[in-house]
Amino acid sequence: MFKRTKNLRLSIIKQIELEASKYPDVISLAQGIPSFDTPGCIKRRVEQALKRGVVAKYSLVPGLPELRELIEVSLAEENMYYDWENEIIVTAGSIEGITATIMAITAPGDEVIIPEPTYTSYREVLCLAGCKPVYVPLNEEKGWSFELKKFEQAITNNTKAIFYCNPNNPTGTIYNKDQLLKLAELAKKHDLYLITDDVYKDFVFDNQKIFSLAEIPELRKRVIRLFSFSKAYAMTGWRVAYLHTDAGIAKEILKVHDSLVTCAPVISQYGALGALEMGEKDVKKFSIEYKKRRDLVCARLDKLSQYFSYTKPQGAYFVFPRLTSPPNPLSFAMRGGEVDSWTFALDLLKSAQVAVVPGIAFGPNGEGHIRINFGRSEEDINEAMDRIENYFKISQGL
Amino acid sequence: MKTIFKYILRIYLKYITKLVLLIHQPTIIAIAGSINKPFAKEAIKKTLENLGLNARANPKNFNTEIGLPLAILAQTSGYNSFTDWLPIIIAAPKRIFTRKFPDYLVLGLGTSNPGDMKYLLSIVKPKITIITDITQRYLESFSDMNELVGEYEYLISRMPASGLLITNNDNARLVALSERAKCRVITFAIKNPADYQARDIKPINTGQKFSFHFKNKIESARINRFGKHHIMAFLVGRIIKNYVVK
Repeated sequence: MFKRTKNLRLSIIKQIELEASKYPDVISLAQGIPSFDTPGCIKRRVEQALKRGVVAKYSLVPGLPELRELIEVSLAEENMYYDWENEIIVTAGSIEGITATIMAITAPGDEVIIPEPTYTSYREVLCLAGCKPVYVPLNEEKGWSFELKKFEQAITNNTKAIFYCNPNNPTGTIYNKDQLLKLAELAKKHDLYLITDDVYKDFVFDNQKIFSLAEIPELRKRVIRLFSFSKAYAMTGWRVAYLHTDAGIAKEILKVHDSLVTCAPVISQYGALGALEMGEKDVKKFSIEYKKRRDLVCARLDKLSQYFSYTKPQGAYFVFPRLTSPPNPLSFAMRGGEVDSWTFALDLLKSAQVAVVPGIAFGPNGEGHIRINFGRSEEDINEAMDRIENYFKISQGL
Repeated sequence: MKTIFKYILRIYLKYITKLVLLIHQPTIIAIAGSINKPFAKEAIKKTLENLGLNARANPKNFNTEIGLPLAILAQTSGYNSFTDWLPIIIAAPKRIFTRKFPDYLVLGLGTSNPGDMKYLLSIVKPKITIITDITQRYLESFSDMNELVGEYEYLISRMPASGLLITNNDNARLVALSERAKCRVITFAIKNPADYQARDIKPINTGQKFSFHFKNKIESARINRFGKHHIMAFLVGRIIKNYVVK
C-alpha cells in the first residue's frame, strides 16, 4: 500500500505553516510568500479576459500562443533564444514544470545531484519519480558557493542531472558565470542535464548580475530552465510558470505536462500575459522594497550576533542564519555539533509565535540554520525580530 | 468615470497622432496577423537600422487604439493611474515640434475585436503592409473566421495603389486575400512557392541555416534564432531591404 508515496513527506515548510496556523498571534516568516498583492495591471488583464469569455476553455497543451510568443520576446531580452512554438511550455507553477521535467528525463533509479541547502520540494519530486537525490554541500564559509570537486565526486553511472536554484533558496546566493560555466563543463563531460530554477532571478541586489546557462546556445540540448510568475509578480496563488529547453527535450516534457494538468490554468495564463505586458514597473518596485527589507533583517540579525551568524543574501528574499549557540543549551538537542533546527523552530513558534523554517528542510547541510523570509512587510519583520530578541533574552534568563 | 476618461484620452491621442504624422510624414510599415508580429517587426527594424535609416517600432503590445498612438508619440502608458497619464498627456503634443522624428515607423496593428482595424487605419496610412499569418487566435470576439479575416480584407482594401503588400504564401486565406490587392504584392513562404522562399532548413547548434530563393537567385543564410517564424521574419526583412534599397 502507498508504495509510491510512503517515502514522500509533506514539505517541512508546509508543516511549519500548518503548525503556525494553530497560533492566533503568529507572525510567519516561513513560507516564501511575498507580502504584496498581485499588481493591478495583471488583475485588469484578467478581468478583461473574463469579460471576453476566453478563460473557460482549455488552452493548447503548451499554453496560449500569445503568452508563449511574449515569453520568447522577454527571453530574447535576456539573451536566451527559444522557439515559442516548440520550446516553451507554460506550466501550473514551477513545481509542475519541475515534476514534468524530472519525469521526462529520468528513469527510476537515476540519481540527480542537488547542491544543498536548497529548496525543499526538489527532494519530494525526485522521490516521486523514483529517483535518488544526491546532495552536494555548498560551502558556507565561501558564501554558500559551489565546490566543483564535490560535484565530480558525487557523479556515478546513474547520475542524470544536476539541479540547482539561482539565486538559491534559502541562502540567497547567486552562482556566478564562472562557476556555472565550470558546472556546464562537468555536465558535458559526464553527459548530464542541467536543470536551473531561476524563480528569484528578478530579485538580485547590490548591482549583481544574474547569468543563466540557457544563454549559451551550445548548451541548449542540456539545459532546462524554469521561471515562475509567483514571486516576481506576487502571483503565488495563480499557479503559473514556464519552462524552456531545446525542442527535442520539450517535446518529451510536454507529454508529461499533458498527463499531469492538460494545460496551465487559462485564467492564470492571462494573468501571466498581463505581467509580461505591463508588470515590469511593479517587479522593479518589489525588488527595491526587498533590498530595503534585506538590509533591515540583516541589521536586526547583527544585533543578535551572539546567537546567529549569516551570509548576506545577494538575491531572492531569504536569509539563512546559522544558530551559533542555542538559546538554552540544556534544553536543546544538538545534531552533529549543530543546533537541532526543528526543535528550535518549534520552540520559537511556541514561545514567541514566530514561524521560521528549520534549516534541515533544505538538506543535511542546512541543519543548525533557520530560513527567514524577508518578503513579508517591514512591520512584520520588525515585530518578528523583536519577538526573537525577547525569546533569547527570556531563554537566557536576562 | 474611467470610461469617460478613456474615451476622451482615445480621441485626444488619435488627433494628436494624426497631426504628428501629417507634419513629419514618416513612411509607415504596418505589420498585421494573428501570430509572429513581434519577430517580423524586429527583423524589419534591424534591416532598416543596418541600412542607416532612422526607424522606430512599437514596443510589446502597443498596437491597439491607445497603444498605437502612444507608440507613434514615443510615450509610455499610464495604465490605470490618472497621475501617471498626466505627464503623458502634456508631453504628447511636443512631438509635433520635435526635429528628430524617425523616417520609418514599424507598427504592429492588433485586432481582437470587429472594427479594430478600421479604427487603427483611421490613425495610420501604411505604405507597406505585412501580414504574417492568420490563425484562429482572437477568434472569440468574432462571429466566425470570415468576420476575423474581414479585418485583414479591410486592411488590404485600404492599401494605396502605390503601396506594397507582403504576405505569407503558406496561408491559403492570405493567398486568396492578396489576389484582391490593388497594390504590388510580394510573397514569402517556406512550404509553398513564393517570391521569397526558404528551403533546406537545418537546425544548427547556434540557430538555423537555410537557403532562400528570390528573383531566380539563391542565397544561403544563418540566423541565431530558433523556430520557423524567425525564418519567415528573415524573409520579410530581406524583402524590405531589397524594396527600400531599390
